[in-house]
Amino acid sequence: MNNLLLRHVKLTHPQVTSMLQYQCRLNASTTTTTTTTTAGSKSVIQQSPIVLDNTKPPPPLDADRMRMHPRIGNREIVGYGLKGKPEYFDLVMFPCPSIRWEADTSEIAELRKKEKGDWKQLSTEDKKRLYRASFRQTFEEFTAPSGIWKWTMGWTLIALAGLILAYDGWRRVAYPFETPDSFGEEKLKKQLQYHIAARQGPMTGLSAKWDYETGTWKK
Amino acid sequence: MAYLFRSVLIQSLNKTIRPMWTTINRNMSSHSKETDEEFDERWKAYFDRPSIDGWDIRQGINHMNRLDLIPEPEIITACLKACRRVNDHSLAVRYLEAIRYKSNAVSKEVWPWILQEIRPTLSELGVSSPEDLGYDKPELALKSVDDM
Repeated sequence: MNNLLLRHVKLTHPQVTSMLQYQCRLNASTTTTTTTTTAGSKSVIQQSPIVLDNTKPPPPLDADRMRMHPRIGNREIVGYGLKGKPEYFDLVMFPCPSIRWEADTSEIAELRKKEKGDWKQLSTEDKKRLYRASFRQTFEEFTAPSGIWKWTMGWTLIALAGLILAYDGWRRVAYPFETPDSFGEEKLKKQLQYHIAARQGPMTGLSAKWDYETGTWKK
Repeated sequence: MAYLFRSVLIQSLNKTIRPMWTTINRNMSSHSKETDEEFDERWKAYFDRPSIDGWDIRQGINHMNRLDLIPEPEIITACLKACRRVNDHSLAVRYLEAIRYKSNAVSKEVWPWILQEIRPTLSELGVSSPEDLGYDKPELALKSVDDM
């Protein structure tokens, strides 16, 4: 009867997690009471629609991971972090984030096994690979200068120049200058005669070019 | 709520305000009359616990990084030995990088001195310093998180 009532409902994330929680609890209770293999608990995870495509079987499911799984994938939760949430961050104030940067692949698992032994046997490449598996950037990288000051400086100057040009343009439009009559030819000639008569610029300027004996311009 | 909650050990480590890089026994805070030696002993005991795990080490490192001081070489060696117990080499390098960054903010002479003091432990445990791995200069040029 229920098969006829097909409801195409898009499940929201909290609903999926509560479904997963319910199934996990069921599985846990059956594995404790009966001796079923762990393959039963794996099938819960593989059946769910939000499993990421990873070749390794996912880490054991607990309350934090059920909430954060689509965001952090199969990465190992290693610490408290900033506020208790399993998120990765690179901060100077808090050197240790709450999750590793990369999920555990088989090659990382190999290196981890090597790490359990003597660290002097690890080569520099191994150590660097392990570091990059746990952290995204080194301290030097995320504190390196970004050069944004050039961007801000440039745009500030461009904006200033633009504003000044806009202001000048507005002034030309809003305050048109009608020339007075002293700009006309006759009046300008009269002004020149007065300047020469008053000996303006006698050494190196205007009157120095006027020959006063002949009453013409000097040759 | 599925927030991560862990042991409340961190609540027992109350914070003392102390000026950086000083040898004078002056205590600025009003709620604790702890000397430098007691402070060092407390942190060394914290990292010297034989059953410490990665979670508590990270808590300790993050907490101590917030304080206005650079840890004594004894505390650094205790933390490195703790990292050795949990088999996490990258964590040790990260811790050293944090101390290096902090000490360079004070003066250029601090980090070489610290390295010199902990060099026996580094060679005994096989931990590489950031310079050995080439991490005193940026290696990758990844996009900053603020630009994404």
